[in-house]
Order: sequence, then structure tokens, then C-alpha cells
Amino acid sequence: MAVTTTIDSPAAATNTTPLARRRGTFGADKLWALAFVTPYVAIFVAFVIYPIGYGLWLGSDPASYRALFSDPVYPRTVVNTLLYLLFGVNLKLLLALLLSGFFMRKGWWTKILLLVFMLPWAVPALPSYLSINWMLNGQWGLINNIIWQVAQVDGPPWLDSHGFALASVIYGHIWKWLPFWTLIFLAGRMAVSLELYEAAEVDGASRLQKFRYVTLPLMAGMYLVCTMLSTIWALGDFNAVRFISGGGPALSTHVLATLGIRNAFELGDPKLGMATVLTALPLLIPLVILLMRQLRRSEVTI
Amino acid sequence: MTAQRRDRAINSIGVWLLSAVLLAWTLLPIYNIIRVSIQEKEEVLSTSVFPIAPSPHAFSVVFHQAYWLLETFWNQMGNSFYIGVVVALLVLAIGSLTSFTISRMRIRSGWMLTNAALLTYVIPMSFLAIPFYGIMGKYGLTNNPLAVIAVEVTFATPYAIFIFQQYSASIPFELDEAARIDGASPPQIFFRIYLPLMAPALVAIGTYALLLSWNEYLYAFLLLSGGKVVTVPVALGKFLVGDEAPWNYLMAAAIIYAIPPLIIYYGFRRKMSGGLTMGGVKG
Amino acid sequence: MKRITRRRALVGVGAAVTAGSGLMPRRAKAAGELTVWWTQGFYKAENDAVIAWMADWEKRNNTKVNLTIMNGPDVITKLIAGMQVGDVPDVVHTVTGDRFLVPRAAWNDQLEDVSEVVESQKAEFTETALISARLYNAKQKKYSYYGVPTKGSSLMNSVWLPLLQDAGFAATDMPGTQDKFYDFFQTVQDKLRSKGKRIFGLGYSMAAKEADAGNLFHQFLVSYGGVGIVTPDGKLNIDDPAVRQAATTTLERLTTPFKKGYVPPGAINWGDVDNNNAFFARQIVMTPNATISIAAAQMDKPDLYYKEIITRGVPMGNDGKPVASVLAISPTIIPKGSKNVDAAKALLRDFIQPANMNAYLKETRARYLPVMASIVKNDPYWTDPKDPHRQVAVDMGLIKPTVPWWMSYNPAYSAVLSEQIWPQAEANITQRNMTPEQATEEAAKRIKQLFEQYQK
Repeated sequence: MAVTTTIDSPAAATNTTPLARRRGTFGADKLWALAFVTPYVAIFVAFVIYPIGYGLWLGSDPASYRALFSDPVYPRTVVNTLLYLLFGVNLKLLLALLLSGFFMRKGWWTKILLLVFMLPWAVPALPSYLSINWMLNGQWGLINNIIWQVAQVDGPPWLDSHGFALASVIYGHIWKWLPFWTLIFLAGRMAVSLELYEAAEVDGASRLQKFRYVTLPLMAGMYLVCTMLSTIWALGDFNAVRFISGGGPALSTHVLATLGIRNAFELGDPKLGMATVLTALPLLIPLVILLMRQLRRSEVTI
Repeated sequence: MTAQRRDRAINSIGVWLLSAVLLAWTLLPIYNIIRVSIQEKEEVLSTSVFPIAPSPHAFSVVFHQAYWLLETFWNQMGNSFYIGVVVALLVLAIGSLTSFTISRMRIRSGWMLTNAALLTYVIPMSFLAIPFYGIMGKYGLTNNPLAVIAVEVTFATPYAIFIFQQYSASIPFELDEAARIDGASPPQIFFRIYLPLMAPALVAIGTYALLLSWNEYLYAFLLLSGGKVVTVPVALGKFLVGDEAPWNYLMAAAIIYAIPPLIIYYGFRRKMSGGLTMGGVKG
Repeated sequence: MKRITRRRALVGVGAAVTAGSGLMPRRAKAAGELTVWWTQGFYKAENDAVIAWMADWEKRNNTKVNLTIMNGPDVITKLIAGMQVGDVPDVVHTVTGDRFLVPRAAWNDQLEDVSEVVESQKAEFTETALISARLYNAKQKKYSYYGVPTKGSSLMNSVWLPLLQDAGFAATDMPGTQDKFYDFFQTVQDKLRSKGKRIFGLGYSMAAKEADAGNLFHQFLVSYGGVGIVTPDGKLNIDDPAVRQAATTTLERLTTPFKKGYVPPGAINWGDVDNNNAFFARQIVMTPNATISIAAAQMDKPDLYYKEIITRGVPMGNDGKPVASVLAISPTIIPKGSKNVDAAKALLRDFIQPANMNAYLKETRARYLPVMASIVKNDPYWTDPKDPHRQVAVDMGLIKPTVPWWMSYNPAYSAVLSEQIWPQAEANITQRNMTPEQATEEAAKRIKQLFEQYQK
């Protein structure tokens, strides 16, 4: 993802010249413009508007919600989802921020470390999560094998108890996405330092002052956007839960995304599944609105 | 030791400690997947940490499709490639056309398109799986890779549009103007001026789209069925439902599956121009 | 020139996409063609047998058959979706469909009536098979046959003889009654532990997923007298003191050994494959399993198959009287919306002729049982005295008394199964410290809610 923080340059965004403003769009141009945007508009209508509409229609039956709220698995799932978001997103971004500072160091070792560090993001999701699932297997997984070899005791039941399993899923999520967000913050830091540190140095700022008055305010905006974006994506993270804990043990580590699929396809009730997912709207909609505003305003693209 | 040297020593120790932690953290699951892939079946269910009798047997099984769940493995790799490449090309084509229209031709309704893209970008992909499932049936795309392609393109194009818009901000309008004065039509400007100058962004986005599709499980699982048509992640998922679990074959297949994106990612890193970090993966 | 190349590239993309999608197989919609979905077997020979038979039928009847073999959960998922959009195959054979899908689909009038197929072999089918195929259609307000019984499976117990011997016991030491039988393995574990072997005596799944845990629970339920949990006319009977008591006892008998450490802690998360794995890794002394698949997987290792792995059926009740096996019947159905109902029925009529069924089921290595008594009587394969496992399976599934699952009485019970109510009750006891009585009450509450959605 490109991260370009343009702090105060609306001019850069619009790039108008007097000639352009006077020009306007000619008739023939209009046709070309129409032709050029038709593919995207077609996609948007056929594959965004229609599914969203259909999804809302599927989830519009009050009976589904009654059935959903009476299922004892549902409240547990909501709690799990909130915990997943709370820890999965915030721990990950905090670590990413700190690590991005570390990776600013110069030197060959840092470069090599960064290359290795990016592996979780470069390796596809399924192999990673399957490996983690097997690694955490209580009987034959690598982690408990190591614990057994070293300390002669049985390791914890990583996937066989609700608390550990949820922690394992969060761990898997962080393992996979930490490199990505670290890179984002790293790019953000580098963008900052190129322009403004020099200006601050000219003004005679100390290292601490530079951090406080340059780095922090600019990273704060980006950190906020990243938190919102990561929350939305974590909300929809199906693969981690599905392949690390499978929603188990005893349906105790489901999140809304996986419960929705389970309701739709294992219980055979797509309306119920859609209703499950739509109960996330009270969280999702404010986030989306805030995020869209923030992305439009500050020109921060993630 | 002087204070300065002591600080530097502590600093070094800190760096090495952190490096060790990062390496262990990053490599543990990777080591595991390699370790299991070179184990024999009996050893998979054992308490060993290092492989006792490593053998490439599992890889040979995968290569020769010698296990019933792997019978169409290379077909499935082919499907994954096919879908990935088509998605990448479509995202590039549609994304660049749209972004060109919004930011170079600067149509008045550009803001609507940008908002549409933005909205798609922030919706969690998995939330629309259920309606998509129903809809693809209505479009007559059941069990058709085009269905998966459509989904991936839908969710990847918005990001492409943003990146292209950002990138095109660095291409001066004077070039467009000059071409106009010479009598160039929009498609000519698009192909002669816009695309060539956008090359680094195109490479970045193409790679991003390819990797996004490569990672996809849920939609491939729901929209495709039957051994020959599915992609590798779906096939891997089927290993978990059955009467025996040959994890060594599973991990070997997973490694083979992971190699193309690794090559692409580490290979194309250099092609990114400054400021454009590797495309993110949504979902 | 750059311009032409770029344009050509775009055109090329369009062409490639169209061409590529044409190369991928699509489901045929032509009339007179049959689309058949079959659940993938566990042995290549099983799948091959189906493919061969379908190809042969195709030739003999001059009707194209598009056969797709998918794994069990996929078949159900895709069928549910297909029914949603009205795009269904003509014939579907599911293995667990009887539990999770078919009764509800019949209730909602989503299946074709297959009475004429079933009638064609009515004399052959066992009583239990016929009962499980007879389902209620709420729209048409009648009972009829909506599934064609194809194969059956019931619970077996697999035991490692060498581990018994290690603990100083012989095969004959295994008690024959319910409580004593399962307690015995706790003793075996104690003996093995005292020798320093980290083995578990009881290896049953308690996970709220797939089918194993539910299978064991319901067999225990019948053994403790809870067979009346749903009456044949579809009424929920869970407040009956005998049923309550049976459920509570079952929960208690399953969870107490877990809490005491006689069941591997991972069992709470075991998919259907994991107990098989644990058994083969000799981590557990015994495991219950639906069908003799555990032994059958080792058919090519004669030492294991004939000597070391023992198969026992369901123990007798604590009162010494035989207990009926809960027999699951895998149905083959014709979804409503199929465009070739007649051809589909013809195919099924052919398939269920005893000779054909026999040939097919033999390829499953007796993992699945015939639902026709005559097959067993006429083909010595099934009662081969040399095969210690098959005998037990056939005995339990066809000769001794059996009872059908309860979903055919009321589809609400299939919701009970897909929601994993009873395994969740087990988890309530082992993970959330409920007592068996409380867990039973919780389960009963939820079951009543589910039954309310299926009032006739």
C-alpha cells in the first residue's frame, strides 16, 4: 500500500493550470469518458450495489434476529469479536509503530531483518494458518513438543480451551499482519523525515522536540486511520479463525464473520447468516463514515 | 568503559535481543511448515521437534499427484494462476481507465466514482460472501472461475484507483495539454502518455491484485466446487475434512503453493519506486 | 508502436478471459442430461466404483450423466445454496444429509417424492431404512418417501489388543455391559500409566463439530433408556422423566472421565478424523467410531487388521439386555427443481437393485452397510467368518435390533444436531462447570425453541 502523506498541499492534488480550467470537456471527450468509466460502473452496480442490496434484503427478516439472539452461541461470539478487535488491532498496531522506529535504523543487518520479517505477509494465508494450527496442536504440535523436550511437562491446551484458543487466533492474526502495518508506518515515518525534519532542524529543534512536534502529530493522524481500517478488516477476517481454531472448542471462539458463514451454510439458513453479519453494522457504519471522511480530507492513502 | 561505549554496548545487545525475538517470532510457523513437509507419516503424529528422518517423499507425492486429495493439484495450481493473472490484468485495465478519467479528464462526476471506490474499499469482504453466493447463481456463474474473478476485481480495483490517482498527481498536466493541442484524442493520451508514465504503479498494483487473489479462500470455496475447478487453498481446506490427515502432504502442497507469491514479492520489491510500498492485501 | 501494443493487450485480455472461462467445466443445463452429485468416499476404489457404474448406466440408457464427486460438507453446502437460487442437480447422494439436511428439505417441500423408487424395492429394505426415508412434508401436509436409503452406519468401538495385553488383560476380559465396558478402559489406563506409558483409556470426541460426538451421545442415550426423546409422530418428549434421566446420565458418563483425565484433553476439539489419528498413533486404547473405518483403513496390514485391532459393537444395557443400535441411513435424494425427474428416478431405481448396491458397498470395504437384508444373506462377503470387523458391523447394523435417528420423526431434530446442542452441553459441563442436570436443562430449553419452529 502506498502511504503518501501530503500535509498541506491541495495544489498537488488538483494540479490545475489556467489552461485546463478554461478548457472544459468537449463533446467527443464526454463519450470517451463514458466509455472509460463504464467497466467500473458496471462492476460497481453488478457486484457491489446488487450484493449489498440483496444482503440487506436477506437480513431484513425480524425472525432471523429473534432466532439469532436466542442462540447461546451469539453473545459469546460478540464478546469474542470485540476482544479480537481490541487486542488484534491495537496490540498489532502498537507493535507495528514501535517496530517501524526500529527498522528506521541504517545498516545491512536491519535490511536483512526486514526482508525476513516480511515473510508472514508474503506467504499466502492458508499455508500460514494451517501451519499455526498444527503448531499449536495440543498433542503433536511443535510448540508443545518443544515444551515437552525442554521442561518435561505438557504444554497448555492452545486450541482446546476457550481462552487459549482465542489468544491463539489473535496471535495468528498479528503474526500475519504485523509486517504489513510495520511497513506502512515505516513508509509514513520516512515520508515525514524527508521533508519536515530538515525544516525543523533549520529552526533549531532538538531530537525530542522533533519527535514531539513533527513525528507524533503526523503519525497520529495516520495511526488513527490505520486503526480504523485495521478494525474493519479484522472484523471481516474469516481465514484466521476458520483455520486456526475452527471456531472451537465447542463453538466458543467464533467471531461474527465465521458465525455468519456457519449459520448460512452449516445450519442451512442464509438469512440467519446474513443477519449475523449485519449485527456488526452499528460498529461498522460509524467506522466507515469516519474513515471515508478522514481518507478524503487528509489525503492519506493506505 | 566510557559512558558512550557502555550505551553503545547496551544498544547493540538490545538490537541483537530484539533481532533474535523477531526472527524466532517470524520463523517459527515457517520452520513448522517445512519441518512437517519433510516428515514421514508416522512421525507427523509424534513429539519430535526436529525431523528425525527427513525425506522429500511428501513433495514427490504432491508433484505426482499420487494422493487422492491431490489428484488434480496441478490443475488447481493452474486455476489459481489463471484467476490471479486475469484479476491482475482486469484490475489494471479497469483501474487505470477509471483513474485516468477521474484525474486526467477530470469529469465532473468523478467524486461519485471516488466515493464508490472508497466505499467498496472499506467494506469487509467476507461480509458479502452470503449474498454473492446467491447472486452468482442468478448471473449463471455457478462453478465458474469468472465468479471468483469478478469478486476479486470488484474488491481490488478501488485500491488501484487510489494509487493511480496518487501517482498521476506527479505527472504534470502540461503533457496532456500539449497532446491535446496536437489533436490527440483521450485514448491516445491514455495509451501514449498516461500508461507509460504510470508503469511503476502498474507493476505494483498488478502484483497486489495477483497476491490478493492468490490468498483468497472463502469466495473460491463458496463459488467453486469439484476437484478440477477449485483453487489450491480450497483443495488444502479439504484435507481437514476426512478420515485421515496426512499433514506432511498438506504442508508440502502448501509450500509449493507459497512459492510463486514469494518469488513475485521478493522479486518485484525492487521495481517499486520510492514512496510506493508493497501493495496491501485486503480481507 | 506503443499505442497498438497496449490496445492489443486490452483486446487480448478480453479474449483470454472469454476463452479461459469456456475451457473451465460448467454444469450442463441441457434437457435429458442428468447432473449427479455424489459424496466422495474414503477409498479411491469407492469413487471409482460410482464413476464406473454411472458411465455404464449412461451408455445403457443413452442419457448423459454429469457426475461430480465432492466431499460431504461441500455437497450439503452447495445443495443448500442451489436450492436458494433454484439451480439444483438432479440426484444427490449425501452421507450425513440424513442428519443435517434431508428432513428439513422434505418439510419445506424442497424434495421430489421418490415413493415409486422406494416402492420398487420395498420388500428388500429393512424396517429402519424405510422409517428413516419416510418424512413429513409440511406444505402438502403428508408423510411420504423423500429419500432413497442407500447405505447405513452405526457405532462401533475399536480397541487395541496389544495395549490391553500390555495392561495385563485379554480380549475376553472386556465386559459386555454398558457401564462396566467403558469403566474397564479407565482401569486399563491406570495400569498403563503405572508402567509409565502416557496413554489414554477412552478416546471419544467431545467436540461440537462434525458427527462423532453426537453419534456417541445418542447411542448412550438409547442405552440409558432415552430412545423416546422424540415420538414417532414427531412430538418432543424431553420432559419425560425417563428421557431426562437418560440424558443426564449420558452427559455425566461422558464428561466425568474427561474431567478425571481418562479422555485426551484435545478431544473437546476433535474433528471426525482426529480420533482416528489418535488411535493410529496408539495414544488411546479405544475409540468409538461410526462404521468400521478404523479397522478398514488398515486392511492392507494383516497383522493389524486381523489380530491387533478389535471391533466391538454396542455393549448390552446395564440390565444385561441387548441395546438397539442407532442406525444412520444415508439417503439419495432428488431435489425439487430438477428438470429430469423421470430420468433421475430411473437411475435410482437401477442403482438400488440389490446386486448393484452390493457391488458398490463392497467397494466401501464394508465401511457402510447395506440397507437390504437379502444382500447380507445372499453374499457370503458380508458374513465372512474370517473378517472379525465386518461381522460385528453387519450384526449391529442389520441383524440385531436397530432404531432410526429421530430426524425422520421431526426435522427439528436435525437442527438440534447441526447446532451441536448435546456436545455443547458436554462443553458446558467440562468447560463452564455446569452440572449434568443444569446442562440437560439448558439443552432442553434450546431444543424446545427449535421444535417450536416445526409445528405441524
